[in-house]
Amino acid sequence: MASSLRIDGLRAGYGSVRVIHDLSLRVGEGETVALLGTNGNGKSTLMHCIMGVVRPGAGRIVAKLDGIEHDLAGKAPHQIVQLGIALVPEGRHLFPRLTVDENLLLGAHRSDARRRIAENLELCFETFPALAQRRDQLAGSMSGGEQQMLALARALMTAPRILLVDEPSVGLSPLLVAQVIAKIEELKRRFGLTVLMAEQNLAQAIRIADRGYVIVHGRIEFEGASREELAKNDLVKRLYLGL
Amino acid sequence: MSGPLFANALVSGLLLAGFYAAVSVGISIAFGMLDVVNIAHPAFIILGSYAASIANASMGADPIVTAVALSPAFFALGLLLYRFYHATFERRGREPLRGLAFFFGILFVTEVALILAFGVDYRSVTARYIGTTWRLGTVDLPLRLFVPFVVSVAMTLSLQVFLSRTFFGRAVLAVGQDQLALQLMGVDPVRIKQIAFGISIATAGVAGALLVIIQPVQPSLGREYIGLVFAIPVLGGMGSIAGTLAGAAILGVATSFTATFFGPSWAPAVSFGLLLFALAFRPSGLFGR
Repeated sequence: MASSLRIDGLRAGYGSVRVIHDLSLRVGEGETVALLGTNGNGKSTLMHCIMGVVRPGAGRIVAKLDGIEHDLAGKAPHQIVQLGIALVPEGRHLFPRLTVDENLLLGAHRSDARRRIAENLELCFETFPALAQRRDQLAGSMSGGEQQMLALARALMTAPRILLVDEPSVGLSPLLVAQVIAKIEELKRRFGLTVLMAEQNLAQAIRIADRGYVIVHGRIEFEGASREELAKNDLVKRLYLGL
Repeated sequence: MSGPLFANALVSGLLLAGFYAAVSVGISIAFGMLDVVNIAHPAFIILGSYAASIANASMGADPIVTAVALSPAFFALGLLLYRFYHATFERRGREPLRGLAFFFGILFVTEVALILAFGVDYRSVTARYIGTTWRLGTVDLPLRLFVPFVVSVAMTLSLQVFLSRTFFGRAVLAVGQDQLALQLMGVDPVRIKQIAFGISIATAGVAGALLVIIQPVQPSLGREYIGLVFAIPVLGGMGSIAGTLAGAAILGVATSFTATFFGPSWAPAVSFGLLLFALAFRPSGLFGR
């Protein structure tokens, strides 16, 4: 059950453009941590660093799973997924010309996930009944909300211990955002996950977050030890409410 | 139009279609699923023909047996070629034009190498079934076409099952759609593409052995097949094996009917006319998703 994430002194960017400066954060066992920040502040780059898609210039990313520490920096994305870390990427990145079923089964590619495929499929369809009725439909032909649900379900098929979610609210109506956020909370409980969620939508994110960080221009500018602290913080108010 | 003539044209068209599926299924995989612009595919088909012909001449080996025995070698050749292509072109960004030039080079180098090694003479194979024709009523079933048909359909259908039913196969179907997403599923896209490309080249080797059963082969024959091997997957829908079979069936039957009733020289015009007509209504091909 034990799974946590620790990032220390991370620096990353693209070519000569530095996007993340000396960033440190913690996600404790069983926590839901929100990473708040508006567009272009490095949330997605941070997620990509954790998954090994972007190679950090400096710093450590350590995942602790079952008491064993794994240094993620330098590992390839597929190796990081093998450890039990999954990312629901911004923009969903489904396989548009494959069916819902095919998308979900691709999630179960890694060997640990294959063993639990029937059980996880059932859990996914229980959590997202809409998907159960669309198993043979092409992913690209579904609505945005359904696609986000499929992206979440597919990530869960990899049988993760740590779930990273990047901007689940992008492109969805307020009602759907609320549903998706509620689903993330439900999945977290069902699967016993540790969650790091990057989100612009403060009001929705703090509904399920235990605590959070505010990222501005690639730096952590504020750390809120509880959702109340986040909601009351001046920086948060300035960024989100224009006060 | 007489009944027997019609029936014979239909049957030989379908037999031809079986062979067409074998030559074009590898293109459908490389272009449609992997985004690897392997225009050199016909060269590997001719290489397969030569391998079958040489083994036949020196050891009396059956071309089908040679094809099966050599498919691991063609698979390995595909692995190496993709490794090289990936390291020198693909990894450095999307440069399809340079990749196309690279594979065009492979096509000509293979052709010239075959000419230098074996000359420009036609080569063929001998096997007991090549001269035999079964008669079913008024319909002729030449084994020279029927044996390649059976082998090709078996190969194509097993590929279809393999790609749609296995974890590896689904990853092949997905790799051209979103590589980042595939990585996030714990799959190494480069490994998937490498193995799938090996399979694509292995099908070319088998198709080559089938080709040399059907007709004598010389090094530049591959170029004559370029149009056809691309037309079939485009018509059927790139990246769909079922589409490749359908495209092969349509062009095979069309070729056979045109050749029977209007003369063989009209066959390419009718085939490509059909292709353009079909694409006007379904731009992504008959089975394109």
